[in-house]
Amino acid sequence: MNLKNLLKLIDKIPFRYKTSFLLFIITGGMISIILLSQVSIYTVKNDFDFLLEKRTKPIIKLERIKDTFTINIYDTLSDIKNKNISVTQSRDVILLAQQLIHKNWTSYKSTNIHSDYKAYFITKIMKDLLLPSTVPEDKRLQTSIIQNIDKKTILINRKVNHIYILFKQKKEKKAIKLINKLYYDINSINIYLTNLTAYDLNLAIQEKLNTQKVFNTLSLILNISILFVFFFSILLTIIITNNFKRTHHLLKDVVSSKTQELQKLNESLEKRIKDEVNNSRKKDMIMFQQARLASLGEMIANIAHQWRQPLSSIMMIVQSFQTKMSLGKLNQEFVDRKVQDAMLLSNNMSNTLEDFQNFFKPNKDKTLFYLKDCINNSLELSKYFLEQERIQVSFIIKNSIKTYGFYNELSHVILNIISNSKDVLKDKKDNKLIKIILKESEDHIIIRIYDNGGGVNKEVLPQIFEPYYTTKYKSAGTGLGLYMSKQIIEKHMNGSIKCKNVQHNMKDQVLEACALFIIKIPILKANNG
Amino acid sequence: MDRNLNILNEFNILYIEDDKSLLTHTKDILDDFAKEVYAVRSSAQALEILEYHKIDVIISDILLENENGIDFLKDLKENRNINIPSILLTAHTDTKYLLDAIKLKIENYIVKPINVKELLNTLHDILLPQIQEKEIRKNSNVIKTISVITDSKQVDIIKYIINNLDDENQLITSYSDIMNQITISKPTLIKLFKELADKNILCKTAHKTYFFDEKALDLI
Repeated sequence: MNLKNLLKLIDKIPFRYKTSFLLFIITGGMISIILLSQVSIYTVKNDFDFLLEKRTKPIIKLERIKDTFTINIYDTLSDIKNKNISVTQSRDVILLAQQLIHKNWTSYKSTNIHSDYKAYFITKIMKDLLLPSTVPEDKRLQTSIIQNIDKKTILINRKVNHIYILFKQKKEKKAIKLINKLYYDINSINIYLTNLTAYDLNLAIQEKLNTQKVFNTLSLILNISILFVFFFSILLTIIITNNFKRTHHLLKDVVSSKTQELQKLNESLEKRIKDEVNNSRKKDMIMFQQARLASLGEMIANIAHQWRQPLSSIMMIVQSFQTKMSLGKLNQEFVDRKVQDAMLLSNNMSNTLEDFQNFFKPNKDKTLFYLKDCINNSLELSKYFLEQERIQVSFIIKNSIKTYGFYNELSHVILNIISNSKDVLKDKKDNKLIKIILKESEDHIIIRIYDNGGGVNKEVLPQIFEPYYTTKYKSAGTGLGLYMSKQIIEKHMNGSIKCKNVQHNMKDQVLEACALFIIKIPILKANNG
Repeated sequence: MDRNLNILNEFNILYIEDDKSLLTHTKDILDDFAKEVYAVRSSAQALEILEYHKIDVIISDILLENENGIDFLKDLKENRNINIPSILLTAHTDTKYLLDAIKLKIENYIVKPINVKELLNTLHDILLPQIQEKEIRKNSNVIKTISVITDSKQVDIIKYIINNLDDENQLITSYSDIMNQITISKPTLIKLFKELADKNILCKTAHKTYFFDEKALDLI
């Protein structure tokens, strides 16, 4: 339960803190493990050094002293006793031995008493921390032994000196007696020295135990800290992994929901695009319609004019019957003649109407037709306003070409250009000319339409084929005519339409500023169209 | 008001129209009414006709082939000093033409398609003054001739009576008033008045007041 609570508690910590915590634990744990291991290694090494310096060396020295006493002093004295060497010879050996003993002893004491071993700072702390109950070294025993040894040494030295004095006095028997006594003294000092060695060894063992303790404690702490770091690392890793999993799931959900939204958006976008495309298509249709209507307006004026004359005549004929009747002059011959005329006139009217009707009929099939006829038809349809503005049209046919395409649409285009020319020429006083040249090149039909209206304004020229662009604000220009013409030529007939300003000889070898429209249509054969 | 279209048959009409069919059919109708209809298709032909024939009225279309009817009429009036009553025909209701026509003092302006009755009536209205002028001249000549061969005094008195009629055809006068004006004997005057009264032409309605009855003249 507690663990669970802890887990829950940790879980509640914000993710940011969790990761920092993990990092902290791992780094902290690692650092503490490294530090502890370093410290323990140093402590152990230190203790070894300490043992060697403080305990082993003095023991060796003590052994040496013992050996010197036994071998150098006692044996030499025995040799003297047995007369193996002379007294004088032995004197040097004894003096050397005494010096050696003194030196070793002094060094031992200095090691033991004066220079207390300098422990490392860390070792000291460790020892203070870990071994608080250690009994301080019992120096009293050591001191008393050392004092005894001092005394004994002085005694032995005195006795040796006394032996030599006796030898000098030739009291050999007394000397030998003293040598025998000295043997006991040497033995006792040896015992003291052995005691001291034992004491030192005891201390060494004690210290080794301490070291063992420190080592054990350190290893324990180390292990615990390793376990602690391990445990927390695992715990936090699990928590963080869970967190990641949860976040992952959460994100996955979010992503999937977002993906769905995106898909929906995508679908709606597709729909919208479809709608927009439809709309633009509709717009195009409307534009076509507008363009048609615009030319329809012009055409209606045209029809009106073309109808007005015959209509006047027919009305006159109808009224003539009335007047003849009232005058009593109505006869068969008159009626026949007038009816024939009326029929002729109304037939003409009917034909005119049909022409226009065809022109506005949206025929969707491509047909094979003579371009000449198409252009002539356009001219016929625009006859009225051309006459009205007194514009002369010349139509030059270089080759009579049949083409495959939309008759009405091409007719529309040509009518449009002529109509534009007419609008420009309106402002001119006289000598209003339009020239159309029909020519065939290798694989193109080229229709050139010139008008001597002075050409198109340079600023306007790049824009004339754009929709809703019009310079005829006062008149009913929709700005669609040339745009639709371009659409028809480019999209329906795969051709091109261009406009430029040129100097052209329209009539009488005089160069005039002219606007030139060039329509290029690829020649299509009936079988591959 | 019904017009007596018969008066048209004394006149020559010049008709200018560029549409051949309309020209023919309109001429066919006008032929039945007018003395002579000269139908031409251009101003040049029209000028030729004007040179050799007496024309009483010109009917012209405004929009002729390559020319303008108004310009033609203007040319006639301003440059050739030919003042013949004219009617313009047009398919246009354009005010520009209308204003030009008014400035030219064109007699009438007919919008196509032509209503024959309207055209004939217009012709009648234009030509009637000429007829009337002729009539008046004729009558005055008759009176003058009569006065030469009969007693001129009686004619003078009749003139006096008619000249002094008020708006209600009443004559307020006395014999002495008349005799102050015209030297005539009283018996002759009385005899004349009696004669007029007998025929109900001039009846006495009150003192010094006489009524002149025009209708009685027609009964004679």
